[in-house]
Amino acid sequence: MVNENLVKDAVKEPYKYGFVTDIETEKIAKGLNEDIIRLISEKKEEPEYLLDFRLKAFKKWQTMDEPNWAGLGYKKIDYQDIIYYSAPKQKEKISSLDEVDPKLLETFDKLGIPLTEQKKLTNVAVDAVFDSVSIATTFREELAEHGVIFCSISEAVKNHSDLIEKYLGTVVPASDNYFAALNSAVFSDGSFVYIPKGVACPMDLSSYFRINSGDSGQFERTLIIAEESSSVSYLEGCTAPMFDTNTLHAAVVELIALDDASIKYSTVQNWYAGDEEGIGGIFNFVTKRGKCLGKRSKISWSQVETGSAITWKYPSCLLLGEESVGEFYSVALTNNLQKADTGTKMIHIGPKTKSTIVSKGISAGNSINSYRGLVKMGTKAKGARNYSQCDSMLIGDQASANTFPYIKSQQPNSEIEHEASTCRISEDQLFYLQSRGIEFEEAVSMMVSGFCRDVFNQLPMEFAAEADKLLALKLEGSVG
Amino acid sequence: MEIIEKIKTNKSIDNPTEIQKICLDKLQSSPLPNPKSEQWRLSNKSKLSNFLDYSVNEKNPKFDTPFPNTSQSTIRLIIGDNCQINLIEENYSIKQLSEDKLVKYIKEQISCFDQNENWSDLLNLSLNCTKNTLGLKISGSEIPPIEIFSHASSNSFNAKTLVIFLEKNCDIDLLQVNLGKDNSSLSQSTFFCLEENSSVNHGVVSYGENKSNLLNSLNVTQQKNSEYNLGSLHFKFNYARFEIRIQQSEGNAKTNIKGMQITKKDEQISTFTKIEFHGPNGFLDQINKSLADDKSHAIFEGSIIVPKIAQQTDASQLSRNLLLSNFAQIDTKPQLEIIADDVKCKHGATISQLNEEELFYMRTRGITLSEASKLQLSSYFQEIISFIPVSKDRWDLLDKLLNET
Repeated sequence: MVNENLVKDAVKEPYKYGFVTDIETEKIAKGLNEDIIRLISEKKEEPEYLLDFRLKAFKKWQTMDEPNWAGLGYKKIDYQDIIYYSAPKQKEKISSLDEVDPKLLETFDKLGIPLTEQKKLTNVAVDAVFDSVSIATTFREELAEHGVIFCSISEAVKNHSDLIEKYLGTVVPASDNYFAALNSAVFSDGSFVYIPKGVACPMDLSSYFRINSGDSGQFERTLIIAEESSSVSYLEGCTAPMFDTNTLHAAVVELIALDDASIKYSTVQNWYAGDEEGIGGIFNFVTKRGKCLGKRSKISWSQVETGSAITWKYPSCLLLGEESVGEFYSVALTNNLQKADTGTKMIHIGPKTKSTIVSKGISAGNSINSYRGLVKMGTKAKGARNYSQCDSMLIGDQASANTFPYIKSQQPNSEIEHEASTCRISEDQLFYLQSRGIEFEEAVSMMVSGFCRDVFNQLPMEFAAEADKLLALKLEGSVG
Repeated sequence: MEIIEKIKTNKSIDNPTEIQKICLDKLQSSPLPNPKSEQWRLSNKSKLSNFLDYSVNEKNPKFDTPFPNTSQSTIRLIIGDNCQINLIEENYSIKQLSEDKLVKYIKEQISCFDQNENWSDLLNLSLNCTKNTLGLKISGSEIPPIEIFSHASSNSFNAKTLVIFLEKNCDIDLLQVNLGKDNSSLSQSTFFCLEENSSVNHGVVSYGENKSNLLNSLNVTQQKNSEYNLGSLHFKFNYARFEIRIQQSEGNAKTNIKGMQITKKDEQISTFTKIEFHGPNGFLDQINKSLADDKSHAIFEGSIIVPKIAQQTDASQLSRNLLLSNFAQIDTKPQLEIIADDVKCKHGATISQLNEEELFYMRTRGITLSEASKLQLSSYFQEIISFIPVSKDRWDLLDKLLNET
């Protein structure tokens, strides 16, 4: 019999990114109304159409109800008690990294994010977002040589306004859902990527989101456009300090892939999850959606979700183009009192479209981990195929794992396969490993990592190693 | 018109019984099922509200289609047909429940109802008079097969209720047949209570004619070491909804379910199942098949709930669907809610059409396309039909499915 306490002790690694950076910030007053939205827009010197976009979204948001179908049962959010814009004070214009406040650089250094020159060897371009604004984007010149635009969305609004006007809100309309409408009204910053025709992006692009202040929400927006025959791999990481209060994070990510283009979007989400009693932690309500507009285009989502007190996130693919491909690979780990409701939507519209879903959920402690996914075959999706696999692993007898797949088909000439299973860490396997001289914790971590292997194989290399380590840390002390 | 208005204007409720009063009160607070609740989200609301377009028929007119001949050994009961039974044989006994006991039991059940989930039961009980309720207590062994009929007559609404207690160590074969007629609505609620060590092979066959509607609700409570096998078949209904709720009250029980629904034209047939394990060592094996053709819509939603107490549960659920037309639609939602960690639970779902390679093979062997697809369908149907208890043989179900639907 496995010693429950041993396993429980093995998942209790403290959150190591929980420090706060003491830096002077510029914040606007709490609350949300039209004036605040005008103020945000003004601070960012936005053109008229964007202000209109925000105001329309705000009007829509006011008429909407907060969704409660996921049954996450979180404490009611007071939207008037949140600061919607917070930015570290720094010089007006920064021409190089040397001018960035050293405290900020230090923060990202502590987080292991390579902003400084000597770390450029890693060959990953980074856009670092601190609270509401983007601090720095590396490797810009190198990328520009290939015609790739990688900058913060505020800069893109100024420098590439035509692209923003053409694509913003076309994948996730402002009225899409409650949190998308809120984000559209108050989004502060985020990343913008444009890959021109025929270009395979020479390096991985990455953005790193850091929430620093406890009373401000983070509402970033990411827009990635891959023109014909181009390809890009994009990584996203997030952390936040430990506060006793809950911080709201409502992001929107829009991806657009044209003919033969491919976008790979990977996330390692490690927001602060709250303490063992469930106090504090990030409320993570994210709308991520990709549109495979072109023929043979491909969008692949891979995610490792380990943080946040509440996660509500369904990265989706709209498969419009003929023979377009959507993929979703996910590992979601919940511990203590975390609640995660995550999954994907694969909407097959065009003929011969294909999608693959692989979801692995691990729940420990008193947490709730649900997979909720939709696979829909439209009337024109002739020859479309879907394969879904959702596995859950339960650790301890207080955690719960739910699976809610919604499957709809209106096209007889299409195939959908779905399978799901639930298991626990098998005592026989543990016993075998232990009898071979492998320590208990290592054995558990080996088995969890084996369980997630299908997903980790899809992550970019640096991420895969990090994700493996992250899971091991998160799980320390919770296997029973 | 709101359903509650329709119920109120219905003459049958001039002198409501106590149960009718309770149910009407409950219905009053939510006259129509809440469309936001998952169980009713996919239901076609206009078809559902047509359900009460017919006036309630308390009498039980002679059914004009002859039932298939019965063998001597089979016990045949028709709900509402002044059905009286009191059989006490050497090995077994089948007794009718007294009205007091029935009322007491049904009241207990109502107190545990969830408004959205048991809406069909509330509707049934609020419109049913005692004449159309049959309560049985069965004990012993070597019991002959039992057939129980419910039917609706044309242009009317019929509500029938069936309560069955199966005593310890009892073992039966029971076939329940629900027949709809032209332009009719049938509401059938069944309450099944299996005591320790009892076992039942339960068949539910429901089919209608033009524009017939059915709300069929089945509530089963299983005590430990009981075994419940259900084979069900629903077809030829303009609107039909089959709700199965099974509770293994102490775990340690076995449940096998094989169900099928077939929709054509613009029919909508749905199956909802909720299986709860309230003790350890429960077992479930469930398969649900749908076939949708023309402009029809078939729905399956099945949930398996495994709370912390239900360790060592072994549950599997499979939803297999055939979509045969460009205008038909299939929705399926198998779901697992698990808290116990030492369990084996899995589910699967597929939606596809008839296998083209198999068809091609048969055609190269000189079998015509229509014969070949019939062959494929019959093998698809046979898995379910063979699970329905013995007396099905007289019903030529396969023939009905292949030729009449």
